[in-house]
Amino acid sequence: MAIKTTKDTSVALGFLSPFMLFFGVFLIFPIFYSFYLSFFGTTTDYSLANLNFVGLDNYKTILKDVQFWWSLFVTFMYAAISIPLGITVSMALALLLDNKLFGKSFFRSAFFLPNVLDMLVVGVIWTLIYAPKFGIVARLWTWATGGGEHFFNVPGILGDPSTALLAVIIAMTLKGAGFGMVLLLAALQNIPGDVYEAADIDGANEWQKFWLITIPLLRPILGFMVITGLIGSLNAFTEIYAMTAGGPQLVVGGETVGSTSVAGYYLFKQFNAGNYGYAAAISYMLLIITLVITGVQQKIAGKKNNDGGKRK
Amino acid sequence: MTPKTIGRTLLFLVLMAIMIFMVFGISGQIIKYGIMVFAALSSGEGFAGSENAASIMSKADNLIASLSVIITALVSFFIVKKYICSIERVRWDFLRRMFLYEVLMAGVILVLFPFFWMLCTAFKPSGQELVLAEGNPFDIIPNSPTLDNFRRVLKIDSESKAMGVIDPVENKKNFGTYFLNSLLVSTTAAFLVTLFSSMAAYVFSKKPLPYKKNIFVFLLATMMIPGMMFMVPQFFMICKMGMFGTKWAMFLPHLASVFGVFMLKQFMDTIPDSLLEAAQIDGASEWQVFRVVIIPLSIPIILTLFLLTFLSNWSNFLWQLIVTDFENPLSITLPVGLALFRGQYVSELGLIMSASCFSIVPVAVLFLFAQRYFIEGMTQGAVKE
Repeated sequence: MAIKTTKDTSVALGFLSPFMLFFGVFLIFPIFYSFYLSFFGTTTDYSLANLNFVGLDNYKTILKDVQFWWSLFVTFMYAAISIPLGITVSMALALLLDNKLFGKSFFRSAFFLPNVLDMLVVGVIWTLIYAPKFGIVARLWTWATGGGEHFFNVPGILGDPSTALLAVIIAMTLKGAGFGMVLLLAALQNIPGDVYEAADIDGANEWQKFWLITIPLLRPILGFMVITGLIGSLNAFTEIYAMTAGGPQLVVGGETVGSTSVAGYYLFKQFNAGNYGYAAAISYMLLIITLVITGVQQKIAGKKNNDGGKRK
Repeated sequence: MTPKTIGRTLLFLVLMAIMIFMVFGISGQIIKYGIMVFAALSSGEGFAGSENAASIMSKADNLIASLSVIITALVSFFIVKKYICSIERVRWDFLRRMFLYEVLMAGVILVLFPFFWMLCTAFKPSGQELVLAEGNPFDIIPNSPTLDNFRRVLKIDSESKAMGVIDPVENKKNFGTYFLNSLLVSTTAAFLVTLFSSMAAYVFSKKPLPYKKNIFVFLLATMMIPGMMFMVPQFFMICKMGMFGTKWAMFLPHLASVFGVFMLKQFMDTIPDSLLEAAQIDGASEWQVFRVVIIPLSIPIILTLFLLTFLSNWSNFLWQLIVTDFENPLSITLPVGLALFRGQYVSELGLIMSASCFSIVPVAVLFLFAQRYFIEGMTQGAVKE
C-alpha cells in the first residue's frame, strides 16, 4: 500500500505541475517581486535596466500624495454609488422576472447579454451617446426643448466634474445589471413557497414580506454582490480609460485632481509615466486595503453565523 | 357596468395603446434593419452605392409599414381576444401581467439600445452620422446605408488603393488582422487554461497528495488579490524574458486560473470514484483514466471554462495595452486596436462603430448559441457559496 501511495503522489504531482508552474511563476513570484520593485524609482532613460534604488522613498511619497488619496476617495465614491444602484436595478429586474411569464428566458438572456460584451467597446459607445452636440442624449434634449444652449452640450455630461462619475456608473450599471439579476433570480426561486404562505396567514402585506423575508434570505447573495462590487471598484480601469480618461479636472485643496481618476486609473497613469517603482508601491497599498476589506467581511460573516447558531 | 369595471376597461385601453405603440415600433425597426443590411450589401461602394441603397430603402418603406401593421394587428387581436375571453376574476391579473411585459420590454430597449445604435451607425455614410431622420429623431436606422465604413476599417477600400498605400506594415494595421490576433490569443489561452485547470482539478478532487487541502485553501486565498497588483511585476518579467510585443506576452501570465480549478474541482467531486476504479481494474493508465473517464464526464463544465477564459482574454484590455508593441501590427489585438483607432478618428462615428462591431458581434453570436454555459459559468462561483 505504501509503495502505491508514493507512486500516486508522483502521478498527482505530474498532473499538477503545469498549473503549479504558471501559478508559481506568474502569480506567487510577482507578489514578492513587486515588493522588491517598490524600492526603486523612475527610469532615467525609459529603459527598465536603469531603475535607481530609492529605498522607502516611494512609500513616504504615497503618504503625502494628495492625488493618490483622492483616487482612493473616488474609488470609494464609485463603489458607494454603483453598488446600491446595481443591487437595486438587479433586484427590480429579478422581481419582475420572478413570475410565470411567457418568454422569460428571452428577457433573461437579453438583460444578461451586455455582460459578455467588451468593456472598452461599451465604454466607447456610451461616450458617443453622452457626447456634447452630436451624442444621442444631447440631440434628444435639443429636439425636445427646441435647441439653445443646455447642459448636455456645454460642458456635456462627461465634461462636468459633478456628473462624470455618475454617468460612468449609469453606463456600467446598465451593462452589469443582468449579472446580479441572474444571481438574485436563482436565489429567489430557491426560497420555498410555504415561507410566504405562513406570512400570508400571519397577515403580512407584500412590503413586509419583501423586507422581512425576501431580503434576509437573500443576504448571502447581497453580501457577495457588495464584495465583488468593492473589488470591481478597486480594479476599475477600462471604463474610465474609455469614457473620461480620469477627467474632468477639478481643484481640491490646492491640488488639481481628476474627478473620475479611480485608484486603478491612477496606478496606470504612474506606470505609463515610467514611475514603475512608485506604481509597484501603489499596488502594495491597494493590496493592503483589499486585505482589510476582506478581513472585515470575514469577521462580519463569521459574527452573523455565530448569532444564527445561538438563536437555534 | 360598475365603476370598477369601467376603470378596469379604461386601464386595459391605456395598456393596450402602449403595447400597440411598442410592438409597432419594435417590429418596424427590426424589419427596417434587415432591409437596410440587405440594401447596404447589394449596393456598390462610395456615393453611387449609397444612392442605390437609398432608392432600395425608399421603395421598401411601404413594405416595412405594412408588415409592421400586420404584426401589430395580429398581436393586438391576440391580446384583446384573450382579455375578452378571460373570466372576470383573472382580469386584474391579466392587466398586471400586461403591465409587467411593457416594463420588461422598456427595460430590454434601454439595455440593448446602445448596441442597436452601434449596429446602425456603423452603416451610416461618412459625415452623415449625426443627421437625424426628418420629423422622427427616434428613427436611427440610416436611410442611405453603405458598407464603406467596414471597407475602410479593413483597409480594402478603393480610395486608399488608388492613393497608393503600398506600405505593407501600415496596410496590415486593419481590423481583420486585429481580429485574427485576438482570436488566436484567446483560443490558445482558453485551450491551455482548460487543459491545465482540468489536470490540476483532477488531482485536487481525486488524487492523494500530502497537504492537498492546505494547498487548495492557499490557492483560493490568492483569488482575493486584486488583478491590478500584478500589472507592474508581470510587465517586468515579460520584458526580462524578451517577450514584449509578442503574442505570447498576451496570455502567458494568465494561464494559471485558480477560478477554473475551483470550478472544475467542484464538478469533478460529483463523479463517483467507482468509475475510476473500474477503469483502473480494466488496466487503464493514469493518463487514460483522465482522458477517457474524467474529461468526457466533465465536458459541460470544461466548455463553460473554455468560453469564459476565451471571453476574459478577448476583452483583457489593460494587459494587452501595456505589452503591445504599436509598431508591430501582428501584436495588436482588437481592444488595443480600437483604442488606437479611436485616437486617430475622433469624430468619425461610423468608423469607430464599425470597428467596434468586430469585437461585439462575434461574442454576441457566441452568446446566443451558448448562453446556458455563459450564464451558469459566470454565476456559479456565487451560488456555490
